Amino acid sequence: MTRRLLWKLCWIIGLGTISLFYVINIITSHTEDGMSYIEIADRQQINDWSTEAEKLYLSGDKQALKSWLDALKFSEKTWAGVLEVDLNQVAGSDMPGSITDGVLLGRDVSWKIHLYFSDNPIMEVTFSDGRARFLIQLPDRMRPGSHLGYVSLALQIILPMMLLIPLTFVLYNHIMSPLRRLERATRSFSEGQFDVRVSRAMGRRNDELTQLANAFDSMASRISELIISQRQLIADLSHELRTPLTRLEISINNLLEGGQNSEEIQRVDRESKNLRKLVEDTLTLAWLENEERSHKGRQLETVDLVDLMDVLLEDATYEFSDRRLAVELPESAPVKRSNHRAVGQALENILRNAFRFTPARKTVSVTLAEQNASYLIFISDQGPGVPKPFLEKIFRPFFRVEGSREARGGFGLGLALAKRQLESVNATVYAENGEKEGLRVVIELPKDDFSQQP
Amino acid sequence: MKPVKLLVVEDDPALNEQLALLLTNKGYEVDRSYDGDEGLTSALTQSYHLIILDVMMPKRDGYAVLKNIRKTRSTPVLMLTAKGAEEERINGFHHGADDYLTKPFNSTELLLRIEALLRRSGGDPEVAHVAELHFHDISLNKAQRRATVCGENLDLTPIQFRLLWTLMLYRGDVLSKAFLYQTVLHRTLGPHDRSLDMHLSRVRRKIISAGGRGEALQTVHGEGYCLS
Repeated sequence: MTRRLLWKLCWIIGLGTISLFYVINIITSHTEDGMSYIEIADRQQINDWSTEAEKLYLSGDKQALKSWLDALKFSEKTWAGVLEVDLNQVAGSDMPGSITDGVLLGRDVSWKIHLYFSDNPIMEVTFSDGRARFLIQLPDRMRPGSHLGYVSLALQIILPMMLLIPLTFVLYNHIMSPLRRLERATRSFSEGQFDVRVSRAMGRRNDELTQLANAFDSMASRISELIISQRQLIADLSHELRTPLTRLEISINNLLEGGQNSEEIQRVDRESKNLRKLVEDTLTLAWLENEERSHKGRQLETVDLVDLMDVLLEDATYEFSDRRLAVELPESAPVKRSNHRAVGQALENILRNAFRFTPARKTVSVTLAEQNASYLIFISDQGPGVPKPFLEKIFRPFFRVEGSREARGGFGLGLALAKRQLESVNATVYAENGEKEGLRVVIELPKDDFSQQP
Repeated sequence: MKPVKLLVVEDDPALNEQLALLLTNKGYEVDRSYDGDEGLTSALTQSYHLIILDVMMPKRDGYAVLKNIRKTRSTPVLMLTAKGAEEERINGFHHGADDYLTKPFNSTELLLRIEALLRRSGGDPEVAHVAELHFHDISLNKAQRRATVCGENLDLTPIQFRLLWTLMLYRGDVLSKAFLYQTVLHRTLGPHDRSLDMHLSRVRRKIISAGGRGEALQTVHGEGYCLS
């Protein structure tokens, strides 16, 4: 059955609402009934007054009866009287005694009171002779149902709330518990646990939400298959390339050492080194993209950016000895919970890029500035710069700007690698064109990478 | 002098051949094995100064071989590993390997690692007794772990002291990074690891700011460091 959840909800909400109304109706009328009667003690009080009135009436002392009634009226703030009733038949057949005897002007004390009438009813007690009656308007203090307002509030609002809140809770849980499972699964999946599946945890349930779980599972299987096969491919490819590259390098070394030093062999040597760099960079990039960002295996350490810069600049000036270098570094710039290999590789790639595009006898400048919670590193070259629309694209793998900055060696991987390495230590990098010339790369490194657990 | 005996365990026949040729040309005596089982048998029955062991091999992989060797022998082992996925894991790896070299590598890198390992395991008997070293205006006292430049105290961390001590002990020699990692940091040199270079830069800065000749700590690009 499709749309099981819909039917389930229809049943629960439809039936539930009807039975709720029904129950509330029954309880309300029952409670109101119960509240409509005069208290036993009050009934007794009225009967007692009647007895007293009858005694005075029978004694024939009308003055005494009147003053007693006045006193009663005053003390109860109501109206009371004694009435003689003489029923005279005008026409029609003889009335049965049961009717003429039982005729009342007021209400018997055992009857229900209309709670919705604002005036108090007249109560009546017949004297023993059956003709004279004691009548009194029910005193306010004896009127039943004084809590009716609260009771109807409770019955019409609080009682339904008390039933509806648990019902809502049950419905919410019924829908949310599988969704929560799905949420947990999605989170673990995104953290790299590719074997999580949800449909097994759904138990005997079978509705729209289990369909969602099944869809998640098949998506998870498909994606994990793709990722695993991609990783396997990278691992295989890298392994397959590494050994032949090593063989090639050692062969070239042997040739060079054996005195065969022709231009061709030197060219082969250069190309093999390029090839090695390309393979290494591609593998590192693939590794960084594949692995989750947390870098659990990574060692965290305090890195002094000045020491690291010294090392990298020494290498760069050795490699590009015909370029000039302008450096502004403080005495020390420690960064906590970082990784010098990631930062070092990134800075090295950015520096190398700057040197490569700077013509001979021109200057590369490196500045390290301190901010509140971070360090800013500026690396500027005097090269041709990058057209504005490409300033972000230069951080993409294998991206090279046509014309101005191409054909300078390299494969367009350096900056892409640098960006990812920096992201792995929560640093950011962007490029902008210098005021007069060249490209300026700006790196911001947090002084302490709080996102890493100590 | 007695020839130095090495064992090469590598499943790729061409690379195995090349390594053997390269090492023989450098004057080492080389035995060759082509898989883990064979390598383990040779390592346990013969006596070698150093074993070069590939990690990825059919049948028995390098780590399994190493584990077995370590049960009875402490021969220095240089592992040839793959870069990438394994690279990071190796950091916490303590299988008892003395050094790791990731493929692809070139002859120079390999030879420097081998020399560093042999130098460390052979040891220099006479240097153990040296208590004080002097180089121009720099003086080191091992027992007090005190460094002075022109008579002024130089504040060095234990690692920085060991680094300067080692460079002064072997002054004039080019010390490979692989060797310095082993002797100063007591660990192996991993890819893109610049810890040692950073320590050296700091020592150089400190000596210069104390008025000494920091530039005497020279970088020999592609090889290592040298004090001269």
